[in-house]
Amino acid sequence: MNQELIRNFSIIAHIDHGKSTLADRMLHRSGAVAERDLKEQLLDTMDLERERGITIKASAVTIDMVVDGKTYMFNLIDTPGHVDFHYEVDRALAACEGALLVVDATQGVQAQTVANAYAAVGNDLEIIPVVNKIDLAGAGPEDTAIEVEHVLGISSENVQFVSAKSGDGVPELMKAIVEHLPPPTGDPDAPLQVLIFDSQYNDYRGVICYVRVMHGTLNKGRKILLMGRARNYMVTELGKFRPRMTPCDSLAAGETGYVVASIKTLKDVTVGDTITDAVHPAPEPLPGYQPPQLMVFCDFYPSSGETYNALREALERLSLNDSSFSYHPQQSDALGPGFRCGFLGLLHMEIVQERLERECGVSVVQTAPSVTYEVVLRDGKVERVEAAGDLPDASHIEELREPWVEMQIITPAEAIGNIMALAETKRGEYKRQEYISPQRVILTYEFPFNEILYDFYDKLKSITRGYGTMDYQVTDYRAGDLVKLDILVNHTPVDALSLICHRTKADHRGRRFLIKLRREIGRQQFEIRLQASIGHKIIASETIKPFRKDVTAKCYGGDVTRKRKLLEKQKKGKKRMKTVGSVDIPQKAFMTVLEPED
Amino acid sequence: MGPLVDALLRELDGYVAGQTLEVETIFVGGGTPTMLPPEELGRLLDRLRALARPGAELEFTVEANPATVTPEIAKVLVSAGVNRVSIGAQSFDVAELAVLERGHRPVQVAETVAVCREAGLGCVNLDLIFAIPGQTLESWLASLEQAIGLQPEHLSCYSLTFEPGTRLYDQLQAGKVTRVDQDLDAAMYERTIDTLSDAGYVHYEISNFSRPGYRCRHNLVYWHNEPYLGIGPSAAGLVDGARYKNVAEVAGYTEAVLAGRGPRVEEERRSIEQRARETAMLELRLIEGIDRRRFERRYGQDPVDFFSEAVRRHCETGLLEVTDQRVRLTRAGLLLADTVVADFL
Repeated sequence: MNQELIRNFSIIAHIDHGKSTLADRMLHRSGAVAERDLKEQLLDTMDLERERGITIKASAVTIDMVVDGKTYMFNLIDTPGHVDFHYEVDRALAACEGALLVVDATQGVQAQTVANAYAAVGNDLEIIPVVNKIDLAGAGPEDTAIEVEHVLGISSENVQFVSAKSGDGVPELMKAIVEHLPPPTGDPDAPLQVLIFDSQYNDYRGVICYVRVMHGTLNKGRKILLMGRARNYMVTELGKFRPRMTPCDSLAAGETGYVVASIKTLKDVTVGDTITDAVHPAPEPLPGYQPPQLMVFCDFYPSSGETYNALREALERLSLNDSSFSYHPQQSDALGPGFRCGFLGLLHMEIVQERLERECGVSVVQTAPSVTYEVVLRDGKVERVEAAGDLPDASHIEELREPWVEMQIITPAEAIGNIMALAETKRGEYKRQEYISPQRVILTYEFPFNEILYDFYDKLKSITRGYGTMDYQVTDYRAGDLVKLDILVNHTPVDALSLICHRTKADHRGRRFLIKLRREIGRQQFEIRLQASIGHKIIASETIKPFRKDVTAKCYGGDVTRKRKLLEKQKKGKKRMKTVGSVDIPQKAFMTVLEPED
Repeated sequence: MGPLVDALLRELDGYVAGQTLEVETIFVGGGTPTMLPPEELGRLLDRLRALARPGAELEFTVEANPATVTPEIAKVLVSAGVNRVSIGAQSFDVAELAVLERGHRPVQVAETVAVCREAGLGCVNLDLIFAIPGQTLESWLASLEQAIGLQPEHLSCYSLTFEPGTRLYDQLQAGKVTRVDQDLDAAMYERTIDTLSDAGYVHYEISNFSRPGYRCRHNLVYWHNEPYLGIGPSAAGLVDGARYKNVAEVAGYTEAVLAGRGPRVEEERRSIEQRARETAMLELRLIEGIDRRRFERRYGQDPVDFFSEAVRRHCETGLLEVTDQRVRLTRAGLLLADTVVADFL
């Protein structure tokens, strides 16, 4: 196909600004989907491909669009919406020449608008600003356009005003796409370079790779090489999403589609990797490839009613269709054998934990998540540490470094004071502030990642009455005055409860943590002593008094069955616990470290 | 009330048909059988009385709330052979009775006891409740003294249980009432044991005390895991090795039985091992505990061996003791009976 007639672009937006509605509207306009099938958020839910019970997410849809009498091929490439998946967003954008930056006319520019726009600029994409929801009461289309120009430096002359819901302005937008977004410029005769920007697992076909052909032409039956992994495969099927999977014989430079090549598991494919011809490989892969960066780690242990093997099998099963988390065996002194798992971010961790319980029926004891630290040892070696329990003895440590993030916060101006106060408690470093409009401000801060991991977003939402938005990216590692806080239960350190925190916060953190632990562990048969220590120095302690009374007073009218069942239920309740020494520690206790501090 | 008594007698007929039951004890419970019209009550009690084994020293108990026992009712009870009455006194404090939503006044307990004595009922039990929200140790001991002053042969002192489905439970969930502190609950219980022992009562089950020779033989049947027949709405029974439970609603019960359908909503047959565990669970409630020889005769193994792990653990913790004859809770174990018993299940 003539590349002049192809446009590859993403629709990028802050959450709920109307990205999916606009995509649906375009699908409908192209005739790819009939009005009656135009369910809300077609691209997101995609129950079209429910073949054999498997849903395939369509993150790349090809549609034919007639503009001024010519038929163009539009490839819409979807991007994940959450801050955990920055790298994936970046790779999806690398498959495009342009982007539609959708901004809600009732809300204006928000944090992810900015982050997404920067990512698009970073990939040299041409951007068309699209002010959406112009038909809503309270919409300020002109002001929004001015904000876009002011904050992002994108001229307001090119802004398209639409209502994705009613379709107003969409024909003009189609025209703008053709006129303003450049066509691809790949060489169809050059050595093959194909970017993998997403992948999905299917029980029947194996791995389905979502690809953009940058140079050369990919044919069915070709032997291919995945350059990052240095592994060969044979293309058994390729095609496009229209939006159903529609096979074709070749994909030429400039086109997007999917590739099936008998790849067994998602572990064998990395987003960002380059496919080339196995016989005549390209001299080098496409730039920008990185292995997935796992930012957050926690341990999963089988809870008392589960076995280690059941947990291992469940993790294996999940990793079939989520290649971005890692797991490896971990032995805890307190909790026995389990797994150390790594995730892209906190949301990603929560998703995996929930899927373990819901889809695999395995209940786990989860430790509090930790960021990764860099430890510089006295002998000059540098190690990565994913949990406080793995820190070497303090006497061997020369320096402890923690990851920092740069964060953009967009907020109503009246909340600036409160945000600054919040940032202070989180060891934030103020960088700058810029007014988007007289009422709204972008604040830029740097934070230790650990400080904003748990409750920062909730607090920001509450002090800005829901109007504040944020986005961040990990930038670097910096040395910090960090200490390991040990938690002792009956004088025995429980490795899974220990944590790393800043020295100035250790006292407060330790005291608060013990109070919460005391509440979660509750009275048991014997007195329980809880202590927090740094090295050998005890900085806080709490005592849990033993049970005084635990007896059913009455056996109602001989209803022995009921009494027995009550006791059995009590006994079962203990199963979601871990026994350390003679103390039963409930799952929740391991997570109390995460609870918002007062 | 007519259809209910009809239904009760009809359900009973189903068990009696073609055999002699030869019962030793009868307990008419459920709080307020004395609310029945006298002639209906008489019809029911006479029929029950006829189940007794000829020549047996029958224990025949009727439960009654204070102020529901008129001299006329008391006469009906005595003439039907009832020889034990169990009165739901609960507390002698007006505010506490209000929390429990009991309609009687404290003074009516003494009046009821007097009516029963007058009619010649030889054994009186008082049910009392402690650890009521708002109750102090002093007010509990005052209630207990008043109860002792009425010279009952038997006292049941229950720590309040918040039962799902009751208003009190809902109030607790809604935060409108607060559970008594665990330490206070424990102190009330320990003072109860001491006070009643000093007054000459024998503590024979976790919540039960009696004058020598007045233990409730009916309840001992439950605690020894022996068979009993349960009749009526919500009744539970153990017959021929099977446990069953009847539908709880009176209307549903009456309708089912009179329509010729069974009123049972639950039934389970337990294996010998499960029965042995249940027996341990129940007999450990008795102060004398499990009789090792008797248990071995019933289940083929000494409980010390059968439950070796649980016995070892709780002897170590001091909650359980083993003698040549018995396995029983210690005084400390009485307060933590559920913790111990759970390990026997």
